[in-house]
Amino acid sequence: MIHPPEGPAWLVWLETTRLAAVMRESLWTYPIVEIVHIVGFVVLVGAAVMFDLRLLGVSRALPASLMARHHLPWARGALLLVVPSGFLMFIAHATEFYENPAFRLKLLFLALAGLNALLFHRGAFRSVTGWDSSAVPTTARAAAVASLVLWVGVIAAGRLLAYL
Amino acid sequence: MRALIVLAALLVSAAPALAHHGWSGYDSSKELTLDGTIKEYAYEHPHGHVRLEVPGKTWVVTLAPPSRMQNRGLPADKLKPGTRARVVGYPNRTDPDEMRAERIIIDGKTTELR
Repeated sequence: MIHPPEGPAWLVWLETTRLAAVMRESLWTYPIVEIVHIVGFVVLVGAAVMFDLRLLGVSRALPASLMARHHLPWARGALLLVVPSGFLMFIAHATEFYENPAFRLKLLFLALAGLNALLFHRGAFRSVTGWDSSAVPTTARAAAVASLVLWVGVIAAGRLLAYL
Repeated sequence: MRALIVLAALLVSAAPALAHHGWSGYDSSKELTLDGTIKEYAYEHPHGHVRLEVPGKTWVVTLAPPSRMQNRGLPADKLKPGTRARVVGYPNRTDPDEMRAERIIIDGKTTELR
């Protein structure tokens, strides 16, 4: 191999699996998996951004609780496209990604975005039905800002993987 | 919102300076033409590579994605070790052993890689 895998043993193992080889060598598998990843995060981040904007005061005519019921299941469901496709691209060059600062930053942003969503749902979100007609509490608005910044960060770091 | 726009602008403006796989990671003011022998090849995503031996040096030459090379008439078996090849491209700004090929000429046939 031109770039022999070097690094933690489990990453070398992942990168030398048959599946990783198929990702690298099959003519169309990699681009198809990339397309699945993009479609998935368009739905995930798109839904999250629309809901965040509502919390920040955009389109107040739409009840926040109904938006949550429509958007958030799609955002969660999109993970079924995003996570497996991301994993497949990762194993194709696991040791290189591991060393890549943009990849580490992406994982950090992802973890923080997940934590932010979790805390939001355990906390402020419980009173969502009250936001349909009245003001959105500050904690929920802060979570919305964090979500916007973190998801843009995930996308930016993900794209910069190819440039760092 | 303003903070987001500033962040996005910073990331976009930083990208070219940091580029590795993108073309801006290579110094296009120093065009290289290398004639050598392929020692090893990788017909892989996201970019193919060959190890090209020229007198006094062995370069890692970054090519195009395999799907593009296939479409342009450069299947993997054209890159077999021992094949003579000429590549025209640009050196990596930071890795002195790597260059990215704009085109590759094998058996008199030119394949554009960009």
